[in-house]
Amino acid sequence: MKIAVCIKRVPDTETRIKIGGDGKAIDEAGVKFVLNPYDEYAVEEALKLKEKAGSGEVAAIALGSDAAQETIRTALAMGADRGVLLKSATPSLDPLVTARALAAELEGGGFDLILFGKLAIDDYNQAVGTMVAELLGLPSVSAVSHLELADGKGTAEREVEGGVEVVEFTLPAVLTADKGLNEPRYPALKGIMAAKKKPLEVKPVAADPGGVAVLELSLPPARKEGRIVGEGPGAVPALIDALRNEAKVL
Amino acid sequence: MARLIPSAYQPPLPRERLIRAEPPAEDRIDLDVVFVGGGPAGLAGAIELARLVKKDNEQGGGLGEVGIGVFEKAAALGEHSLSGAVVNPRAFRELFPELKDSDFPFRRAVEREAVYLLTSGRAIHLPTPPTMRNHGHYVASLCEIVRWLGTRAEELGVNIFPGFPVDSLLVDGDRVAGVRTAPSGLDRDGNPMANFSPPTDVAARATVLAEGTRGALSQAWLEWQRVPSPNPQIFALGVKEIWETKRALDRVIHTLGWPLPTDAFGGSFMYPLEPNVVALGLVVGLDYGSASLDVHELLQRMKLHPLFRPYLEGGEMVEWGAKTIPEGGYYALPERRYGNGVVLTGDAAGFVDVPSLKGIHYAMQSGMYAARAIFSALKAGDTSAAQLAAYDRAVNGSFISEDLYRTRNMRLAFHDGFYVGGIKAGLMTLTGGAFPGKRINVPKDADVAKTTDHAATFVPDNKLTFSKVDGVFKSGNATRDTIPSHLVVGKDVPTEVAAMYARMCPAAVYELADGKLRVNAPNCVDCKATDVLGPRWTPREAGSGPKYQRM
Ligand SMILES: Cc1cc2nc3c(=O)[nH]c(=O)nc-3n(C[C@H](O)[C@H](O)[C@H](O)COP(=O)(O)OP(=O)(O)OC[C@H]3O[C@@H](n4cnc5c(N)ncnc54)[C@H](O)[C@@H]3O)c2cc1C
Repeated sequence: MKIAVCIKRVPDTETRIKIGGDGKAIDEAGVKFVLNPYDEYAVEEALKLKEKAGSGEVAAIALGSDAAQETIRTALAMGADRGVLLKSATPSLDPLVTARALAAELEGGGFDLILFGKLAIDDYNQAVGTMVAELLGLPSVSAVSHLELADGKGTAEREVEGGVEVVEFTLPAVLTADKGLNEPRYPALKGIMAAKKKPLEVKPVAADPGGVAVLELSLPPARKEGRIVGEGPGAVPALIDALRNEAKVL
Repeated sequence: MARLIPSAYQPPLPRERLIRAEPPAEDRIDLDVVFVGGGPAGLAGAIELARLVKKDNEQGGGLGEVGIGVFEKAAALGEHSLSGAVVNPRAFRELFPELKDSDFPFRRAVEREAVYLLTSGRAIHLPTPPTMRNHGHYVASLCEIVRWLGTRAEELGVNIFPGFPVDSLLVDGDRVAGVRTAPSGLDRDGNPMANFSPPTDVAARATVLAEGTRGALSQAWLEWQRVPSPNPQIFALGVKEIWETKRALDRVIHTLGWPLPTDAFGGSFMYPLEPNVVALGLVVGLDYGSASLDVHELLQRMKLHPLFRPYLEGGEMVEWGAKTIPEGGYYALPERRYGNGVVLTGDAAGFVDVPSLKGIHYAMQSGMYAARAIFSALKAGDTSAAQLAAYDRAVNGSFISEDLYRTRNMRLAFHDGFYVGGIKAGLMTLTGGAFPGKRINVPKDADVAKTTDHAATFVPDNKLTFSKVDGVFKSGNATRDTIPSHLVVGKDVPTEVAAMYARMCPAAVYELADGKLRVNAPNCVDCKATDVLGPRWTPREAGSGPKYQRM
């Protein structure tokens, strides 16, 4: 079982984001970066599949700056066998540009399965995984919350409004992982020590900015303070009035 | 008014858990030197050691590869670090002779400073006492310092393991042979869950205890080896906030007096990290006289004083945290800070000068001395106590010892109250530490009687003043609320003692509910205050506790 997992370095969800001086990028000073949480599910699933198969290889691939090596090391510490950094000086904003760079690396790699997180928590595009599938001409299932593989075929479940969608596909395939697929492991001490010695290949890529440019970044408006209209059944008329006339939701 | 003695209700340190007479397990990791704690002491030590090893190998000394590991309980370096901080750069200069002050992770040089004596409505400008002068020092965030030191250490090949709390020392006879990390993924009753990670044993030829203030392992080791000190170690609790302000601050400020009662020792600080980002805190000795004293609440009241209010008004409190400081000084230092396979550094040993509120450069320097002694011991192929005694000799002959000796009685004088203490401290400064000519005896904090009086209620306005629970939220604490409690609480704690815990703990871990003590362990931010006067703190699952960013 040869599996590729594509991962991204993103700001921690608990970080207080500030916008940089130019108004077009976040101020990275003091910001903690992590392995994208949805990609953690993808890494975990890859490791479980390899462990179940008893043999194989898990490659962790990231497009990004040198700093993304740390993110790749996290995947290696969890148990991935080798890492590839597609090193690009400029951050890629256009999902198609990212997808092309990754597809070029994956093409001809002989992978049985290519895994992504369903989205990156920084840009929320939900696009790259599916685009890579299209570029490689492979079947794809997005937002997978349960997965079974057998005899070159797979069955994936996706949670949809009010139910579960079951999708059958043939390997090789491209899947994107949703929350609930598994419980990602913490890297163990031994894993962290071992990760330092695992191969991590750095390949410079020239990713053009594509069709996307940032004009301006702004923080969402501060939420208005809440208000308690009253307590108990007696407050219901006041609540209805507030919902109808202030919030205008009724 | 009744009086209570905190030690009467305090459970003993769970020593059998912190020190285990077991060899490191078969599937252990083998390192040469383990640093417990990724603060300034542990990281400076690891950097110095890695350098010495590198130089030795370059010169054909033949030491070979030396595995160095720094184990830190915070999920990322710096997240459990809290200080003032005004930093004396001398240890940085010695550790990085190739760098300039402007390369260090400092925010700005101290250019102006002021000391005030506060009354409830006024601030009386005092001449700055010599011990409190900060010219030539820098304002900094300890979180940032620690992250920077961590990067330097990694560049030198040191293994940094954030998110790996050390749970116990593994000993063989009187020799410290390694450490065991804390497990994670246990449910409230201690049963493993799906993502359970078992403890890992690490074997080491030398272990450096750099746990910081009120280190659990350090206390246990000192107790176990019966290492005495002339006076017991005593502590203060500091509660600190970071504010983004509308009004710029251009100087470092220290205050004495109000809002503290005269039978409490302490003071406040306000430092500009940036003109409009201010660090503000209040530090109070835990030998205070009233059981209802509450440092968090005193800080809240203090912010309404005309000295502080104009800076904070219209601003935003962005971070909150708390930590204790060892205040015993020279006479509270353990008689030896080394043993077979082990040394104690930084706050864990008590290297803090209270009059100047400084510990960072002493911590770093002691880590560096530890590294040098361990390096020689590795070269000699012998990390026994006899070899590591070189560490104590280095500290004793250094400015660490000299500075602490000069102010040896100053904090102790304040045990008798603010005014008597102030006069005595003045005489000590004039005589260069010679007055009163002998050591002032002080009791353990937990042996100081507290009067059980009633506290006036305080209602936060949520603009300038905040509740403890709001504070804990702003500390970034997101501890899983189903982990087993890491606090060892005495049996049948009487109501008035429970009330004292509730007032003392800045993080609302202890609450008085229907006359009984309720413990909200996940709130804990590892300040260790109650470990001094009440329930004991033990290491807990990785990633628990605060996530400080600029403390
Ligand atoms: C409010 C306040 C203001 C201060 N102001 C100043 C100032 O202005 N200037 C100054 O020089 N000093 C100041 N100090 C003192 C200074 O912060 C300390 O002396 C210094 O941080 C000590 O460094 P350390 O490395 O010994 O300990 P710490 O900085 O406390 O680091 C110890 C580290 O060990 C970790 N640790 C603990 N136990 C374990 C375990 N079992 N396993 C793994 N990791 C563990 C902790 O999480 C922590 O990261 C102040 C302190 C406080 C509380």
